[in-house]
Amino acid sequence: MAIRVNPKLIEDIEQYGAEEVSNCYHCGNCSAVCPHSADPFIFPRRSMRTLQMGLESKLRSSLEPWLCYYCGQCSEQCPREAEPGETMMSLRRWLTSRYDFTAISHLFYRSWKAEVVAIVAMALLTGLGFALYGFSSGDINTYDGPTAFLQSPAVHVFDWTMAGVLTLLLLVNSARMWWFTVGSRTDIRVPLLSYVKRAVSLPSHFFTQKRYAQCGEKGPWLVHLVLMLSYVMMFTLIMFFLHEVQAGPGINWNVHAFGYIASVGLIGATVVMLRGRLKKSRPGNKHSHETDWIFLVLLLYVAVTGVTQHVLHRTGFDLAANIAYLAHMMGVVPMLVLEVPFGKWSHLAYRPLAMFFSELVADALRENARVTTQVGIGSPQPARV
Amino acid sequence: MKIGVFLCHSGPDSINYESVANYARNLPEVDLVRDIGPRPKPDPNLLAEEIRVRQLDRIVLGASSPGRLKPAFTRAMALAGRDPTEVRLASFREHGGGGANLTERAKAIVACASRGVPFSLAAVTELMPVNHATLIVGAGVGGIQAALEIADAGEKVYLVERTGTIGGHMAMFDKTFPTLDCAACILTPKMVAVGQHESIELLTYSEVQQITGEPGAYKATILKKARRVDPKACVSCGVCAEVCPTRVPSEFDCGIAERRAVYMPFPQAVPNVFLVDEASCTYVQSGGKKCGACAKKCPKGCINLDEADGTIEVEVGNVILATGYDVLDARRIEGYGCGKLPNVLTSLEFERLTNASGPTGGRIVMKTKQYNKRRKVDEWVLSADGEPPRSVAIIHCVGSRDSRYNAYCSRVCCMYSLKFAHLVKEKIEGAECYEFYIDMRAFGKGYEEFAERIKSEGAFVVRGRTATVTERDGQMYVKGEDMLRDSVVEFPVDMVILAIGLVPATGTRELAAMLRVPVEHDGWFQELNYNGDPTETERGGVFVAGACHAPKDIPDTVAQASAVAAGVLKSISRGKTVSSRADVNLSSVEARAKTLQVQ
Repeated sequence: MAIRVNPKLIEDIEQYGAEEVSNCYHCGNCSAVCPHSADPFIFPRRSMRTLQMGLESKLRSSLEPWLCYYCGQCSEQCPREAEPGETMMSLRRWLTSRYDFTAISHLFYRSWKAEVVAIVAMALLTGLGFALYGFSSGDINTYDGPTAFLQSPAVHVFDWTMAGVLTLLLLVNSARMWWFTVGSRTDIRVPLLSYVKRAVSLPSHFFTQKRYAQCGEKGPWLVHLVLMLSYVMMFTLIMFFLHEVQAGPGINWNVHAFGYIASVGLIGATVVMLRGRLKKSRPGNKHSHETDWIFLVLLLYVAVTGVTQHVLHRTGFDLAANIAYLAHMMGVVPMLVLEVPFGKWSHLAYRPLAMFFSELVADALRENARVTTQVGIGSPQPARV
Repeated sequence: MKIGVFLCHSGPDSINYESVANYARNLPEVDLVRDIGPRPKPDPNLLAEEIRVRQLDRIVLGASSPGRLKPAFTRAMALAGRDPTEVRLASFREHGGGGANLTERAKAIVACASRGVPFSLAAVTELMPVNHATLIVGAGVGGIQAALEIADAGEKVYLVERTGTIGGHMAMFDKTFPTLDCAACILTPKMVAVGQHESIELLTYSEVQQITGEPGAYKATILKKARRVDPKACVSCGVCAEVCPTRVPSEFDCGIAERRAVYMPFPQAVPNVFLVDEASCTYVQSGGKKCGACAKKCPKGCINLDEADGTIEVEVGNVILATGYDVLDARRIEGYGCGKLPNVLTSLEFERLTNASGPTGGRIVMKTKQYNKRRKVDEWVLSADGEPPRSVAIIHCVGSRDSRYNAYCSRVCCMYSLKFAHLVKEKIEGAECYEFYIDMRAFGKGYEEFAERIKSEGAFVVRGRTATVTERDGQMYVKGEDMLRDSVVEFPVDMVILAIGLVPATGTRELAAMLRVPVEHDGWFQELNYNGDPTETERGGVFVAGACHAPKDIPDTVAQASAVAAGVLKSISRGKTVSSRADVNLSSVEARAKTLQVQ
């Protein structure tokens, strides 16, 4: 099959944040220092090469960007200041936009203004919708009970509907990811049994992010893990225990204890991440894309308004609590609707999937190598070139 | 006549283009001055329109290399119905090189072009009478070659060398690439010839302190550091070194062996006499209170430990800079373990290790841990009966082609690294040798063939510079990406050789300031013209030879040294030398250009 070359590929990727890709002269330093780079997924140099050669389809089928957690050692050691770490980050953004069938993420990653406009519009729409609903069926001065401004059963239905739609979008994008990286590859054949055997890697990577821990420093991994677990905890509370969470004014420790832990985790981790990006504390924080800021700021806003409405309700200020609740929803809905399928949050699906797919591909490549060695092609020894 | 001047910013940053443009506006008959920026893409049709409207008769194109832009302007002139031969180039690079006062020079070049007069005719430099003696700074192979060429022609040479012996880095080498000749067999006869030549005054253990004067008549003050051994009386019996109680790392052996405080750098040193290193001598450091054993035991009585430094003054017509290079300090580079892991050697250390006259007699061995009774510590030492390494990794481009250290290619590393692979394979039966390279720069005569030969000898030549040398359980591992096999490889190795890059020798900048010779960004001496005049400098009568000009291998150094000698001899046989080229007198160029134009 002929390979199509896109001579403007580097220019395309540069719109996603990469800067000095053309500087790379392929010394291989980066691939050698990277703690994750190992056969058959050698990076970042190979990705730099693919980029320089303009092999768009090959790049689209690559899983390497998702195996990188941007510890930045490659960029620090690069003799050409080609910023391989930042290139991998940009490739993750680019891949996200390739997996997304709607082209919305393509727009958001290249124009932060478009993203901000979309977020504001979505926030206003959400605010308007909930306010109309609240005034028609409840009283703005009551927070819970049958006359509540925003009644939890209704919000519950809304949450589940939204979750359903977003999951569907993410599933479609994930399926496209599978097709690009595994399904459409003609050089390997992944047997069905492999999927079953390796399936455990999905939850194990999702909940432990153990590969991240293999990077040089443990700090960033820990902060990220706290953020993710807090988020999962909060998500569970809201999706399954919304009524208990909202019911007041007393404190139901069975649910609220978890809520407090999750809130502290979310706010703490977000603040640490924001501070790191502001101070450019490590190589991975040096180049912040606009979408990175939008993501963190939204997250902090949602967490803070969530806590505020909870506190106001418990202290008896129902009117203020309702307004804060409305403000909270105006943050949550755009954040989830725009970020989960089209933005940075999609990596919650792509990262573990990439680990899973990479194991499948590695197995298949090993099988290929075993077969070729048996028939006497290829040599296990280093090539005497 | 109406003239249009177009200035393109492609030249060196030190040219003030605005000032040049303002100057050009005031030139006679100049009707239009246009700044066309750094990377213009002139459109002949638009230009032709402008030429037609302005009625221009002549175009002056000012740029670093305006030749690239000429076709568009010639075409425009033709389209406008003017004389297309009236596109005059003002080439700043061709007529200026680098150096000081480039703006003034650029103005003069534009002035000549606007009058249609060749700059080289208008800007004649003054000729000065020349002193026949020549000063050569640095006595490595380049300095030696130049000294012999000039002295063999019968002219006087002062050869100044900072260390105790001439020979430079080449004297440290075992073999030369690509011929695998014995380096000493080529160099020592030349060294001896220098030592015995009646026209060469050898000033070893001396440094140039000051140079004053003008081209053709320089006056140099040379510091003669106290040798403390009478070179005329010393017969190099070595009794002094036997009794000397002090042991310090030997500079000549790059620290892998020790020497005494009174020593001879190596047995074939020229002059073949001992010297006392004041920094390590107990007698000198204690102010004459302690030791003094060597002076007492010297059978010839030729050691005077109280000798003081002296200076001499010499008058010379030409100065040749042949100060060579230093190697990059590999300990600066993290990740390769230099200075931490005992068997990580730099290339120069390995040269001494593999040298037949080196500390192990040429046996390639690993360092072994030994108890030092005097210092009461375990230390890693090299001894001739050590274990040979079973596998050796050679890492190319250490500190070269790297924006964090030296951005330039050090030019010699690929080839000497291949030579090392050959020596390892030759001297240790069954040893594996891994070369990690980025690009194999085998550019010279016979070099590519040499590279092929080494590969056929069974060394693993891996494309991909390694990033890390690590030690686990007493075994070193080298990890790298093997690009041609498309995999990450990690080899256990017993010895690692770092092919460290070349940097200008210490003191290069001071010497340059003293002589008012420009140095480049990286610290190398700047030649007058990269292509046309690679041996001369901005300053008349000051020449560069060898690696002080840019990293260079032995054949190129020797060739450049001979070329320099030709330049020096030319000025001597004419009896005149050119004065400084750095200062162009704008008004005199203008005046001369005017006269030439009239003619």
